[in-house]
Amino acid sequence: MSLKSSVFSSAVLLGSISLAGCVGHHANELAMQQANSDFQAVKEDSNVLRIAPKDVIRAGESLARADRLSSYWGSGQDVEHYAYLSQRYSEIAREHTQKVLNEERAAKLDLERQRLQLALREAKLLSVQQQGKWLEEQIISLATTQTDRGLVMTLGDVLFDTGEADLKNSANRTVLKLVQFLQLNPKRIVRIEGYTDNTGGTEDNLALSLTRAQTVADMLADLGIDEKRIQVAGYGDQYPVDVNATERGRAQNRRVEIVFSDEKGRLGAAR
Amino acid sequence: MTIRPLFTALAVLALAGCATDPAPNEQLRLTERALDQAKAVGANADDMPELKQAENKLARAQADMVEESYKDARIQAEQAELDARLAEARVLTQKSQEQLNVLNTRITRLRKQLAEAQ
Repeated sequence: MSLKSSVFSSAVLLGSISLAGCVGHHANELAMQQANSDFQAVKEDSNVLRIAPKDVIRAGESLARADRLSSYWGSGQDVEHYAYLSQRYSEIAREHTQKVLNEERAAKLDLERQRLQLALREAKLLSVQQQGKWLEEQIISLATTQTDRGLVMTLGDVLFDTGEADLKNSANRTVLKLVQFLQLNPKRIVRIEGYTDNTGGTEDNLALSLTRAQTVADMLADLGIDEKRIQVAGYGDQYPVDVNATERGRAQNRRVEIVFSDEKGRLGAAR
Repeated sequence: MTIRPLFTALAVLALAGCATDPAPNEQLRLTERALDQAKAVGANADDMPELKQAENKLARAQADMVEESYKDARIQAEQAELDARLAEARVLTQKSQEQLNVLNTRITRLRKQLAEAQ
């Protein structure tokens, strides 16, 4: 009997120790519920399972441990602890998953960005090409004629006064277009040919025609066209395009002609 | 005699509860490393409550170590480790989100330019 009573008292004593650990039982239940619902959520998310399986397993293991401990007396602190760890693992799994999903999306977006960049570059190039074509049409329409010498553009009419080599301001627009055209067609070269009316002596006219051509050539060079692409020639009063008998005819003959090479830089022979 | 299994069970349980835990030195090292790692990726205790929690729990674990309450030290350190890992994960997720935002902005801009170019 004495043995039995001492066993009994020991049991009571142990029981009361265990009971002391049991305070806050409801708090544990709550923690377990939260950990459990968090775990269920990540367990059923296929992305989380694919990306962070280890964290899901650890969340499950911690939860199982908390669950096992909760059936014992005096393990309140441990239950709460493992429920906490389980919840943390679930959260970490979600964060890892979100990060990898973001990265996967970023990889796709980066491809999209590269594609768009390429498309934009092509569009810009196309617009430059179209602009070039448009300019070419403009140049051609600017009193250019396709002759046996090639494409010829005439800066004429009223651009020079009699005996003068200075280009009038009204020529600026035409020259600027010419510059743009040459910039867009870097392989084309030009020969600038000066002409005069028949006023004055032949020698003077040859010199004057050359000076007129050189004026235009200098202007092109000043505007950034490589001088190597520009040839200059003066023909004096030769090759008139109109009669020298009238003032109007003479004005037509005071001119500079620009002969363009083909696209590969082949220029027709000089006169 | 019928009371004997109950007694044994209770004794085992009590022993489990009372058994002195070994000093969790390795866990503390792990926790410290986790904290360092979180800070290395740019986590800040001021705007990351998980990191703040981790720091507080590590401090408590260290105090528990001094008092030789090894079980408490281990619990605090284990929780602090996961708090720090969560803080680190959150920072990395934030960064990936920011990168995503940058990309989206660039794509929007490119689309706009492309629409204008055509």
